[in-house]
Amino acid sequence: MTRGLKIFASLFAFVGAAQAEFATPDEGLRFFEEKIRPVLAEKCYSCHSADADKLKGALQVDHLEHLIAGGETGPSVVAGKPEESLLVEAMSYSNRDLQMPPKEKLAPAIVDDFRLWIKAGAPWPEEPVPLAGGKSAPEAFDLEKRREQHWCWKPITDPVIPGVRMKDWPRSPIDHFILHRLEEAGLRPAGPADDRTWLRRVYFDLTGLPPSLAEIDRFLDDTSTERREKVVDELLASPHYGEKWARHWMDLVRYAETYGHEFDYPIHFAHEYRDYLIRAFNEDLPFDQFAREHIAGDLIAKPRINEAENFNESVLGTGFWFLNEATHAPTDVLANEADHMSNQIDVYSKAFLGLTVSCARCHDHKFDAISTADYYALTGYLHSSARTERSMDPGGKRAAAAARQREILTKADASLPARSPVPPFEKNPVAGLFANFENGDLPPGWSIVGEAFAPTGTGAGFTLEEGALYTTPGTVSSIRLGEAHSGALRSPTFTIEGDEIHVRLRARGGMMRVVIDNYHMAVHQPLLFRGTVHKEPDTKGAFTWMRFDGDLTKYRGHRAYLEFVDPGPGYYEIDEIRFSKEAGTVDQDKTSGNPSTTISKEVEDLLAEGRRLAASLPPERFSLTMAEGTPERGNIYVRGSHRSLGGEVPLRFLEALGAKEGNRLTLAGETVSPNNPLTSRVIVNRLWHHLIGHGIVASVDDFGPMGQLPTHPELLDWLAGDLVKNGWSLKHTIRQIVLSQTYAQASVPHPDIDLTILSTADPTNALLHRMPVRRLPAEAIRDGILAVSGSLDATLYGPSIPTHRTDFMSGRGARESGPLDGGGRRTIYGSIYRNFLSPFLMTFDMPNPFGPKGNRGASNVPAQALALMNDPFVIDQGKRWADRILADTGLEESTRIARMYEAVTSRVPDAETTAALATFLKNQATVYGASDSRAWADLAHVLLNQKDFIYLR
Amino acid sequence: MHCHQFHPRQLSRRDMLRRCAMGFGGVAMQALLHEEAQAGTVRTNNPLAPRVPHFSAKARNVIFLYMDGGPSQVDTFDYKPLLEKYHGRDPREVIGELAPTQFDNVGKVLKSQWAFKQRGESGAWVSDLFPYLADPEVIDELAFIKSMTSKFSEHTSANYFLHTGSGLQGRPSMGAWFGYGLGTMNQNLPGFVVLNGGLIPPGGLDCFGSGFLPAAYQGSIFLPRDQPIANIRPQESNPELQVNKLKLIDQLDRSILDASGYDSEIEGAIQNYETAFRMQSSVPELMDLRGEPESVKKLYGLEADYKNTQTFGLQCLLARRLVERGVRFIELTCPNGNGDRWDQHGKLFDGHTKNCQTVDQPIAALIKDLKRTGLLESTLVVWAGEFGRTPFAQGDDGRDHNPFGFTVWMAGGGVKGGVSVGETDEWGYKAVQDRFEMFDLHATMLHLLGVEHTKSTYRFSGRDMRLTDVHGHVIKKVLG
Repeated sequence: MTRGLKIFASLFAFVGAAQAEFATPDEGLRFFEEKIRPVLAEKCYSCHSADADKLKGALQVDHLEHLIAGGETGPSVVAGKPEESLLVEAMSYSNRDLQMPPKEKLAPAIVDDFRLWIKAGAPWPEEPVPLAGGKSAPEAFDLEKRREQHWCWKPITDPVIPGVRMKDWPRSPIDHFILHRLEEAGLRPAGPADDRTWLRRVYFDLTGLPPSLAEIDRFLDDTSTERREKVVDELLASPHYGEKWARHWMDLVRYAETYGHEFDYPIHFAHEYRDYLIRAFNEDLPFDQFAREHIAGDLIAKPRINEAENFNESVLGTGFWFLNEATHAPTDVLANEADHMSNQIDVYSKAFLGLTVSCARCHDHKFDAISTADYYALTGYLHSSARTERSMDPGGKRAAAAARQREILTKADASLPARSPVPPFEKNPVAGLFANFENGDLPPGWSIVGEAFAPTGTGAGFTLEEGALYTTPGTVSSIRLGEAHSGALRSPTFTIEGDEIHVRLRARGGMMRVVIDNYHMAVHQPLLFRGTVHKEPDTKGAFTWMRFDGDLTKYRGHRAYLEFVDPGPGYYEIDEIRFSKEAGTVDQDKTSGNPSTTISKEVEDLLAEGRRLAASLPPERFSLTMAEGTPERGNIYVRGSHRSLGGEVPLRFLEALGAKEGNRLTLAGETVSPNNPLTSRVIVNRLWHHLIGHGIVASVDDFGPMGQLPTHPELLDWLAGDLVKNGWSLKHTIRQIVLSQTYAQASVPHPDIDLTILSTADPTNALLHRMPVRRLPAEAIRDGILAVSGSLDATLYGPSIPTHRTDFMSGRGARESGPLDGGGRRTIYGSIYRNFLSPFLMTFDMPNPFGPKGNRGASNVPAQALALMNDPFVIDQGKRWADRILADTGLEESTRIARMYEAVTSRVPDAETTAALATFLKNQATVYGASDSRAWADLAHVLLNQKDFIYLR
Repeated sequence: MHCHQFHPRQLSRRDMLRRCAMGFGGVAMQALLHEEAQAGTVRTNNPLAPRVPHFSAKARNVIFLYMDGGPSQVDTFDYKPLLEKYHGRDPREVIGELAPTQFDNVGKVLKSQWAFKQRGESGAWVSDLFPYLADPEVIDELAFIKSMTSKFSEHTSANYFLHTGSGLQGRPSMGAWFGYGLGTMNQNLPGFVVLNGGLIPPGGLDCFGSGFLPAAYQGSIFLPRDQPIANIRPQESNPELQVNKLKLIDQLDRSILDASGYDSEIEGAIQNYETAFRMQSSVPELMDLRGEPESVKKLYGLEADYKNTQTFGLQCLLARRLVERGVRFIELTCPNGNGDRWDQHGKLFDGHTKNCQTVDQPIAALIKDLKRTGLLESTLVVWAGEFGRTPFAQGDDGRDHNPFGFTVWMAGGGVKGGVSVGETDEWGYKAVQDRFEMFDLHATMLHLLGVEHTKSTYRFSGRDMRLTDVHGHVIKKVLG
């Protein structure tokens, strides 16, 4: 109460001074009782008093002390200052995000009463202060306590490998952990799966494809004791391994090639990231490096170089940040940015850490040791980074040519007389100078990607472009090396303060734009962003003032940067940039100051060599990546609202994991630090999930308190420790798992198992008393059909095959339909258009690409039966298969039947089955009235519809 | 033709025990793995099996009439005489500060070009755009909510918000939530059917998706034609060919089922073939209108002069047939060719005239027909766009998007007809009294079908997700 009394003392003093509003203090109190308190009680108390069932916004209005202390958005009343009082702001409905009462706007007269009351010092009678926090005061957020209470934050242990009774069963430590728990429960493992079952399992699990008949025979004929190891090593070395496992990762990073929403605009070059993944898995890129490249591949000092094509691999990993959905024309661009960042953080934190950090966007995490400050520390990294389309330059040919060209130009420049400095403008625009490039260096905060852009310096310089012989001093130019090089120039981030931005430049082609709050979609659709993008400008070789204007007016106070993109053809030469309300004037053409010396033969030859190099450059190949932006600190948005700014937070890692500050490289380092127990556990758990059918932690993307507890915590730690000890090699861990006895179990329980115990001790098979029956993922079903029918085109990599579009896939942004069979390519090479996802794949649970999804689930619905029964793709593949098998004319009918059956199921049909299949052929032929390929196509169709095809036993 | 091959054989005691250990276990495992957390009832292997609601309710089915593009409240049901008085004035002068609009092309205050009259015993205000709805037999069934709001001014986000309670893409649609909460009464048809009049709304098929809910709950798009959905037509030239195939598939699968120890997933997949086979006939049967009397077809406007009236009439008639067949949630989208949906940024008179001509007679017919057949009591009909339109012009003769206050209506199952809830300001611009959000609409719809919106949750992404997120209040004044 002491504090309360103090406030009263000052309050009455204030009231005493506020004679203007009320003649006496009593009059003020009477006014309060008549006009103010009833409104508060009727309109506000249900959510904002000690009696509220659920106190909203941590604000109570049942006492002046609470009003002054305020809630989440800060003090509600500033006595004497109605214009600074949030209470008045909320009541007057002037702030869209703060409108109270929420269901009705109070009459203006009532709001005026409140203004008057506050102006008078907000008189409130002396009375007890109702308890703070109301009935349901939530437990205070105690990060340290939560961290101590939940298992996932604890360090990884080095568990003792437990003893077992069935000593001859285990083959690896994994088996000890599994068997130990089974024995404790009074259970026993299943018998071994037969060779064919095991082989089919391991083929699909490692490559997503069935074994061919030859591969089955080779395995069965191998009598060596290491034959399983041999097969596993072969499969791990197969390029199809990467195609299978990259797809699992794509589920986590919501991989797609269009932005969705109304017009489904393209995400250019997304497939380069997909190919990066396939290579990374195939090369067994250590997972810690994989994570580093994803988070900060652009900042790695010595990036990994692609061996075959010699380009920077590491930087491609950063593409995952930008595969989000995106809309055009958001009326609130900052809210739009906040949503994107929430998605980016969701992907990062779930994929690598198994944490739901985005839950802390509006409030400290309800359950986990993650604070709102943690969340906004991560948004700081995104604010400090930029999206950029970067030249990959395979073979480094462009870089090498550029280096040689610069040498040539330096030599040629030496022949030029020193040029007098360009005189200043006679009529300088009054506007504020943002940048000029007079002193020859790039000003602080400006950055360059690619070979094309460089400051021209103060002296004279040749270019390699015919018709534009000299660069202009005091500019940043992309013409010096000729037009063939690409690049981008980016300004530091600034706050928009004027209505126009003027750029004095000469330019042709490419694009220049103001990127406001990291909104990149204006290039597709300018609505609400008119005047912020110039596509393909052309100043006809002369310097001129161009301006950004139009809708820019709307974005005063927003953060933005300028970007000049030269994609190859075309050039930019930027002289200066001014922020103003007035148009600048072109009062002088700087190029007039160029020397008019005659050029010697020697220099001519040099320049000719440089031009030849320019002409010989290979075509550009771009990728979507992250680059450094202007360093910015994260800023807390109170209750998730970008209109209510809280405090700043430094760029740092999660507090529960040490809160280390630093740039994105630090974030990457902390993500894979030995002190972080999550990343290694999360990834081994994912591998387990994909191979065993359910994770040791079943909620694979959420290790927090709302997720599941691990069924075998010691095994999880052993696997995590083993991974790190073995250089974060995912192939190592996968090999360990698939060569275990656990994985080699049959999918039916051991005949001697006690069923009474089983039904209570392990009804869900969490203890793994058998291998679960698993349905193939969508991709494996489609790829399996192509493989069996002989239509699979095993080509690796490259641009995606357009999605085949059915009559039911209409809507805005629809593209040309692709081939029914996807060109025979594996499913991973098919396009993923957010608004036109393949119905066949979706039916079999390919996830929609909007957020991380580590566990697809396997639905079981009639639409799947309809797809396999009637989808033209399946029917067509059956026909192709029949034609192919009939082309081999030397085969007996029974051999054909057996081979087809085996191709689909990896099993040999028994006599009864073969007879049934033969009878079917006869029956179909009878209906057709002819014995031809149609009956065989029907047989192929039947075989593809078998459960033994789409389920792995 | 029916295929009688699909009945499981008698089980031995040992089989039964094994199924208890593994079959039910399989269900529990599925629940565990999918992070499911459904209040109330035990889930069966069939995700669409009908389930008991949280409390008893009148409504069992929903027909959602989705008015794509955003109809103008001030030209339809929200009568604002002040617009006539200030017609042609600068809205910034007479209304005051305006919120940003989508196209940022603010014109003058624009009065409605249609006359308003009070209709029925309830005295509901209806403009001349809706002569059929104005019929007392129909209008007094409707409960208007005139203070609905949205958070978004842009179609895509607003469409997602209306359909899923979130402005982001990839969340479960209302229809999916109803299927998840309640299942559906007909296992030979999907539980969530979208009768597509020709337009897929901005935002695409994700307006009807199942998001993080299992795929079984996603909306099935039915095109108004003989073969309304994909893969429903057998590709075989002769039915016998397909029956032979299915018999052989079943025979092969039975032996696998045996060898897999009666794995419940495989068993479910086998069962799906029987359902799929039946769907091949139940879906065409649904579309076959030969049994409908001519008078009914005429009532719905199937013989109307305007082609879009015929199209929407067919959709409404099919909606009734779907309700009769027990489909839980039916959504209708608008036909093409009325200007750009209801999205009249220009040519307001022409566009709204055509849109109303398209839907007015069919919707009135639907209400009457449902009443006639006694189905209205158990069928909730909802009419809504993603937002309304500005009371001032965009350019000269259009209206821009207005998420701050617009009208939706409900009728049928459990709804009190003849009421009007909430108000916009005197301009019809912003909701000022009983301001509602989409969450409230969703909470009310769920409530009318007996689902407590705070209890219908699905564990995803570390949270118990709801259609109403952490919001939503039942709009009590529309409850009967």
